[in-house]
Amino acid sequence: MEAALTASFATLTSVLSEEQVVRDPAACAGVAVDGLAPQCLVLPRSEQEVAAVLRFASEQKLGVIPCRNATKLGFGNTPRRYDIALSLKELNRVWRYEPDDLTVSVEPGMKLGDFQRFLARRGLWIPLDPPGGARASLGGTVAANAQGPLRLKYGAPRDMVLGMRIATTEGKIVKTGGRVVKNVAGYDLGKLLIGSYGTLGVIVEINFKLFPLPAHRTTWRLAAPNLTQTREFRRALLSSPLGPLRTVTMDSEAAALVSGHEHDQAQSYEIRVEFGGTETVIRRSGEMLQSMARALELSETTLDGASAEAAWDRVADFESALSSVFSRAVLVKASLPISAGEQFLELAGLEAAKEGTRTACLNHSGVGIVYVGLLTQEVRPSLGGVTNSLRKAARRLGGALVVLRSPAELKRDIDVWGPPGDDFDLMRRLKEAWDPQGVLSPGRFVGGL
Amino acid sequence: MQEARTARALPLDDLKRIVGERNVLWRAEDVMLYEYDGLSAHATPAAVVFPSTTAEVSKVVALAVRTGLPVVARGAGTGLSGGAVLTEDGLVLGFSRMNKILEIDLENQRARVQPGVVNLDLSLAVSDAGYYYAPDPSSQKACTLGGNVAENAGGPHTLASGVTTNHVLGLEAVLADGSVVHTGSACWDHPGYDLTGLLTGSEGTLAIVTEITVRLCRKPEAVKTLLAIYDAVPDATRTVASITARGITPAALEMMDGFTLRAVEEATHAGYPMDSAAVLLIELEGLSEVVDEEAGHIECACLENHAREVRRARSAEERDLLWRGRKNAFGALGRVTPNYYVQDGVIPRTRLPEIMEFMEDVGRRYRLRLGNIFHAGDGNLHPLLLYDKRDPDQCRRVTQASAEIIARCVELGGSITGEHGVGIEKNELMPLLFSEDDLALMRRVKAIFNPEGRLNPGKLLPTGKMCGELRVQASAGG
Repeated sequence: MEAALTASFATLTSVLSEEQVVRDPAACAGVAVDGLAPQCLVLPRSEQEVAAVLRFASEQKLGVIPCRNATKLGFGNTPRRYDIALSLKELNRVWRYEPDDLTVSVEPGMKLGDFQRFLARRGLWIPLDPPGGARASLGGTVAANAQGPLRLKYGAPRDMVLGMRIATTEGKIVKTGGRVVKNVAGYDLGKLLIGSYGTLGVIVEINFKLFPLPAHRTTWRLAAPNLTQTREFRRALLSSPLGPLRTVTMDSEAAALVSGHEHDQAQSYEIRVEFGGTETVIRRSGEMLQSMARALELSETTLDGASAEAAWDRVADFESALSSVFSRAVLVKASLPISAGEQFLELAGLEAAKEGTRTACLNHSGVGIVYVGLLTQEVRPSLGGVTNSLRKAARRLGGALVVLRSPAELKRDIDVWGPPGDDFDLMRRLKEAWDPQGVLSPGRFVGGL
Repeated sequence: MQEARTARALPLDDLKRIVGERNVLWRAEDVMLYEYDGLSAHATPAAVVFPSTTAEVSKVVALAVRTGLPVVARGAGTGLSGGAVLTEDGLVLGFSRMNKILEIDLENQRARVQPGVVNLDLSLAVSDAGYYYAPDPSSQKACTLGGNVAENAGGPHTLASGVTTNHVLGLEAVLADGSVVHTGSACWDHPGYDLTGLLTGSEGTLAIVTEITVRLCRKPEAVKTLLAIYDAVPDATRTVASITARGITPAALEMMDGFTLRAVEEATHAGYPMDSAAVLLIELEGLSEVVDEEAGHIECACLENHAREVRRARSAEERDLLWRGRKNAFGALGRVTPNYYVQDGVIPRTRLPEIMEFMEDVGRRYRLRLGNIFHAGDGNLHPLLLYDKRDPDQCRRVTQASAEIIARCVELGGSITGEHGVGIEKNELMPLLFSEDDLALMRRVKAIFNPEGRLNPGKLLPTGKMCGELRVQASAGG
């Protein structure tokens, strides 16, 4: 087996140069998934090289997982096989930047933080605050349709991608969509790739729609004594004419993790709201927010620019904040009707308490996305049961739940994605059409695709 | 086609059993109307059936499978690329009875509707509560949400708020074998491939949508509508870039040239100036003070680019009148020409001055009258080419002129269609944008959903029967 693989990797170096195929065990361990390290890490430098690696893997029936900064490698089921880590690190160029048209074509290995700095020079940005924050790559962000609370104002990657180029397992480069902001020519195959977690093809170029950076921004922090109050505030905010950029509600554990110090008011909740725009927007939003807070008897303060920005980065990268303190924590994400967020937070606390565990909950309350961290320092098999109960609760409320992070040992008992729906057969056939040999992220996606 | 009809016997009794006797049309004089949509006339349907439930849709499709008849779903038939007409003998599924709003959930900012609900009716249903459904195609008084999903419809107000695909959360659909699937959900995220995103804009060639969950948006506190009047077209197009450069995204940014607005004014008396070369219709939405502030900036941008005058709509009535003029513009042009052909090319918005010049030149070279009315803010052009279809030479010139315009849009980095769809109008032009490999992948995806081409045959993908031709069979005027 090992000898056969070595022979086939020799073929790989006919596709890439020696230094682009890294077999150093330490490097391979750095991109391990659930404890499984690949045989090699490859670093293609062009879309053609990505396509060649995929064709090679298809011919040899090897498992390939695309990656960049490994911010999302913990997502998904344990791979069925994993031979090649396909790093997109070298694909980090900006191709066509048209600031006046508010469009850009960029390679997937570009890090979000670098990209934002580049765009900011012309007063633009891509309004995404996904898990992984500045370290997240654009390719990974799109492949996972990853987003944060900014989704409230701006939408998700699926709303900002105009088109893309994709390397297929056949070794071809295909194009979908285009570079203009409005386009309905042909099937929108890009939608299939967005959120496919690298199971259909490898995105090698993305055309984004860009947005002007708000001239001014202010973040408000409110303390709420209970979930009834956070619910009332959420209702008031979302039915007001204000268009906040983002808002979150955190329980005290989540607030402590995000702020990096003990939260003084136990049992209370912290709400954050950011507004952006002209000075007039900021002033008017502030006035209205203060009157909402007064009506609900919530205390409020503002965070100044730089510290607010850093605070939002930590909110976006909640997973890192969680895992740096609770290395064996389980993190789940529920997508719910907006109205069910508070109820789910309450249920999560109760379910976890049954197993003697505390929770850190972060509700992207404007969009119905709730993160629940189950806080533990050791692997606790009983958390599989808690996760399953939470999924039942999410489904009962009309939503769905996925496990974003879990110790590999627990993944055997946890259903990461939840049961697929009646459209699963179509998904399975799409996977077969795009990846007949099953080489891309094998087994990691919904229903074991 | 005659042979096909005899080979595929019409299962009239079965259809009547499924949807009820009154809900099947089959007499020549009844089905004739369904040869048309906004593009032109095509094959006469063998029958038109009007199901009232998903189960009935499913049974009709299953019957079509057994009898080998193609099926095309049809909303209001307002489409402009031939999406709702048959290209061969077959069944039309009319959705006029599946027109119920099933659920409105304001706290969760969503509604569940049947595909036959008229676009504007949904907005009206939630208007008093302070909400609306954002995509607003010009035909919104007639067109249905099912058709909007199939075509991924746009509209003037999609500049700031996105097109149909950005507002659809989940779908129920009947597949080509008659089975029913549910994609997406009523929440913002759903694990699995985004089949909702794939089906939206697939022009009825992958599945027949039977239920739609859409997002509702909160109405803005204030709306301000500006009309900037110009003596020269390039001044108007340059203003578009100046507005973007100021970091302002208007809710809508529309342009009309002098010829078009004179026709519009004569038809609707909306208050458009009869003697100008072009106007921009600009709408701002948001907090009231902010809208005022932005209106000031926009006014500056317009005046800097030599607008003769910038008017502000002083009342809701004035605003409605301006929009009525804009949204009825195609009809207004229909009054001044026997026929017209509407294009739907897209270009990067900074190339507007250039493409306008190009189109003027095309008009001159082909001796054709062009009216321009379009979504300037997102570079989505709608040149209308006026002609008389009884004159073969004019038909030829319109076809060639349109093809040149579309080719130029593609050269400038744009697209062959921004919101009207590919249909049977532009399917042979797809190779302008996509390579054989790109198209092969689309075919492979189609084969998963619609392996026998039962659903809406002959649309979207090149058939290879024509050689890279645009199918201009334009709407009748009037």
